[in-house]
Amino acid sequence: MKYTPTVGEILQAKGVSRRGFLKYCATTASLLALPPSMIPRIAAAIENARRPSVIWLSFQECTGCTESLTRSESPTVEGLIFDAISLDYHHTLQAASGDQAEAARHAAMEENYGSYLVLVDGSIPMGNPGFSTIAGISNHDMLMETVAGAAAVVSIGSCAAFGGIPAARPNPTGAVAVRDLVKDKPVVNIPGCPPIAMVMTAVLTQFLTFGELPKLDKHGRPVAFFGTTIHDRCYRRPFYEQGKFAETFDDEGAKAGWCLYKLGCRGPTTYNACATVKWNIGTSFPIQSGHPCLGCSEPDFWDKGGFYQPLSTGHFGSGAKLAGAAAAGVALGAVAAAAGRKRQSKYTKEA
Amino acid sequence: MDLLELARGPVLQAAAYILVGGTIWRLLGIILLAKKPDYSEARGPGGLGAAAKVIWSRAYTAEPFKRATLYPKIMGYVLHVGLFATVLLFVPHIVFFEGFLGFGWPGLPNSIIFFIGVATVISGVALLVRRLTSPVLKLISNFDDYFSWFVTMLPLVTGLLIPIRLGIRYETLLAVHILSVALLLIWLPFGKLGHTFLVFLTRGTTGMVFERRGAKT
Amino acid sequence: MTTVDGRTTLDREAERLAYKPPEVRHDTQGDMTTEQRVETAMHHFVKDFNTQTASYLDGCVHCGMCADACHYFVRTDDPRYTPIWKMELFKQAYKREVGPFAFFYRLFGFKKKVTIDQLEEWQHLLYDSCTVCGRCSLVCPMGIDIAGMVSMARHGMFKAGLIPHELHETAKRAAETGSPLGITPEKFKERVEWMADEHEVDIPLNVEKADVLAVMSSIEIQKYPESIAATAKILNATGESWTFSTDGYEATNFGMLSGNLEWQKAASMKLIDTAIKLGAKTLVLPECGHAYMAMRWMGANMYGKPLPFKVLHITEYLADVMNSGRLKVKKVDKSVTFHDPCQVSRRGGATQAPRDVLKHLGVDFREMPNGGDYNWCCGGGGGVITIKRADELRHRVFKLKMDQMEATGAEELLSSCANCRQSFDDSEQHFGWNHSMGSLMEMVAENLEEQKS
Repeated sequence: MKYTPTVGEILQAKGVSRRGFLKYCATTASLLALPPSMIPRIAAAIENARRPSVIWLSFQECTGCTESLTRSESPTVEGLIFDAISLDYHHTLQAASGDQAEAARHAAMEENYGSYLVLVDGSIPMGNPGFSTIAGISNHDMLMETVAGAAAVVSIGSCAAFGGIPAARPNPTGAVAVRDLVKDKPVVNIPGCPPIAMVMTAVLTQFLTFGELPKLDKHGRPVAFFGTTIHDRCYRRPFYEQGKFAETFDDEGAKAGWCLYKLGCRGPTTYNACATVKWNIGTSFPIQSGHPCLGCSEPDFWDKGGFYQPLSTGHFGSGAKLAGAAAAGVALGAVAAAAGRKRQSKYTKEA
Repeated sequence: MDLLELARGPVLQAAAYILVGGTIWRLLGIILLAKKPDYSEARGPGGLGAAAKVIWSRAYTAEPFKRATLYPKIMGYVLHVGLFATVLLFVPHIVFFEGFLGFGWPGLPNSIIFFIGVATVISGVALLVRRLTSPVLKLISNFDDYFSWFVTMLPLVTGLLIPIRLGIRYETLLAVHILSVALLLIWLPFGKLGHTFLVFLTRGTTGMVFERRGAKT
Repeated sequence: MTTVDGRTTLDREAERLAYKPPEVRHDTQGDMTTEQRVETAMHHFVKDFNTQTASYLDGCVHCGMCADACHYFVRTDDPRYTPIWKMELFKQAYKREVGPFAFFYRLFGFKKKVTIDQLEEWQHLLYDSCTVCGRCSLVCPMGIDIAGMVSMARHGMFKAGLIPHELHETAKRAAETGSPLGITPEKFKERVEWMADEHEVDIPLNVEKADVLAVMSSIEIQKYPESIAATAKILNATGESWTFSTDGYEATNFGMLSGNLEWQKAASMKLIDTAIKLGAKTLVLPECGHAYMAMRWMGANMYGKPLPFKVLHITEYLADVMNSGRLKVKKVDKSVTFHDPCQVSRRGGATQAPRDVLKHLGVDFREMPNGGDYNWCCGGGGGVITIKRADELRHRVFKLKMDQMEATGAEELLSSCANCRQSFDDSEQHFGWNHSMGSLMEMVAENLEEQKS
């Protein structure tokens, strides 16, 4: 078996300073809500870890997740950590294609059977196997074949985690999430459209450090990142409490940076770390740049009414149905009154 | 479909249908009963003007009754004004109404609404205490009174819990809040909460009969 | 200390501790099985429901404020006297038989059928302890007219033969002889002639055509015959073409008080027919509260169409002629307070008339605290004064009246209802209260300015 360098050796070779590395470890620890005493352990674990084998499967997706992860903050420690894993299969990034690529996947699976990680982006069409294939293999077959020897599966992005846009009504391809198919392996969902890169590397770091997966919420998301709502951490929250709301995108309220609740913000029901971790090296996040949160890390966010409909709006049925209810009321009222009068006249006759 | 979607989708829909249908049912069931013509010579104006007058004027207590009814009156005012304020002046609620009315209106800051909500709950509790302790109310109260109290207080309490959270997730609390509102809407036309619309009938008919006589209303 | 029935306390100083339970008396009339009584009561309750009563019975929010307006509750603290509780059986019948959800009430038994025990208990609540004074109707935040419904509920009670004996017998006598006190036309004629002699006043009787038909209440004819003379003096002074008639002279309506609609109609029709036969333009009602309700507001409905003549209470008539200067009076130097008969003022709308009259008399008029439309009832209205077993309760509530009257410090107490007067007389005697209730009309009659002829 050939020598595989440790992550530490790789980082050193890439010119990452000890200081920068420890800073990364500290950030990761805080994100995972670990005590500072764990930082050296994280550092040691990462430095000494053998590059774990990772197989990245892309199904019905837009490649946005990959773009987000590979381009957004380059070059960063997170990006380098990615270099530090043995990404043995990723058909967007790898040079090989066709049979050669498939051969690489099989090789990685054989070599690391039982210990490799499978990362998935994109949903899996169940309607017809031909809807989405890679090297002639249907997404479903490839997923099931690949996860058989995996230690764990990580669903990257809302499509893999919850079905995503492909599963939006009327869901023409019968798209499903990874969790719908993989029942016998731990599956971590890192939803988002796209998900935050830092969140993903932190999960991988924890796996490398402790050999375990993070604590998950009911939607399979790491609690450390998806434990609080955008609303709870939003810097515009005081405006909500004061009742100051932007009514349109170009009014005084919008310019003054008031709460975007009335413009449909999903912050109160969206669990994600955007408001704290932010995007583009901690620069901003949607609400900060003046747009309401769409709730992209929540299941079915695409089917929960219009994005610009305020959250407390009810989803009433059609006016026709309401008119129907009114008509039923008229009928029942008339019948009730008639019945009452009938009893009255019956008694009048008896008397 | 999660709880929140269920609550504000089909459940709220069903509640709206029942509210509309039930209200019309009850109103027509009363209005379409026999009416007694009054052939006596009128002294004052009857008609809808008289009805409107009493619908408005009965909001006030006549001087002679003020002292005896002070406690329930004050609590009743706080409860009703509080309910109107929390329902109609809380911005997320206004947005809710705007959703199907097509227009909105200015609201009050959340902190003030929260305070009003707490006062409303306190008045509700005070009225319940009165109902449970006053011999008169103990005698005349029935299931309807207690259940109606419960379904009125539930949305208030669940609404107030949303900002407090108590470690429960926002969307769960919101869903429970909406479900409690649905329960209120469903019960409203059938029990004593029907006074929301029946008050116009009772005060109105009394206004028409007694203003016509030129008698005290 | 032990209280036996919530009210009675044993007298510990007594020679021997003793307790006599209060007599519970449930009166019945006619030969009916229990079953029949219940059915009849129920059916007649049901017949009375209309949009107005239905909205009232559906609209009550059980706030209990009506209790605080009711003299019976205020004086006893007995929750059963809560006005709306008196409607409980009526409400039960409504919800079960006629209300919008009656089908479900029957299906699930939410409201049970009324029972005979309930009806017997409610005999006490609907008759002994309600004077139909309507004070509760003014406090109700929903504007529910409870008093009006008590009158309606009495219809079913009467039909089921479940009303107090005394009231039943009085009403029956009224139906049979034309007057609750047995004043036959002959007796009335005698009395009129006696008063004409006694007071040397012309009293037209049985004139064929007249503009004004005057009628009296039997209490006046029997107990306060001076009223007959006073009425005559006043109507003579205004130069009215008027008459009494032996065809229709009795203004009281015990059919209405007892709950017998047929009797009520018969009594009203007697007056209406007489007035029509005379070609009268005005029917002047005497100082009687319920007569005003019966004729002014219910008369036309008994007749089935608008009446071809005006109906005025004597105080309204007086206010009319005095305001227009047709009748002049001497000033009276006295302090006076006025007791408003519930059916004339609060429920009848003629509250201003007696005040106008008192102004013309130039008296020092002292309004009672919470007087006028919010007046406490004398306690004898609604037929209650006829019911012997209700005496104790009636005296109890009269205390409120005494306090209200005394607060004014007025020398003279006046009213415009013979029934109120009778009730005052009785209570004055009971309490040894050194006040006496007078008649406003009589005061006017005594102080007429001599006519210049």
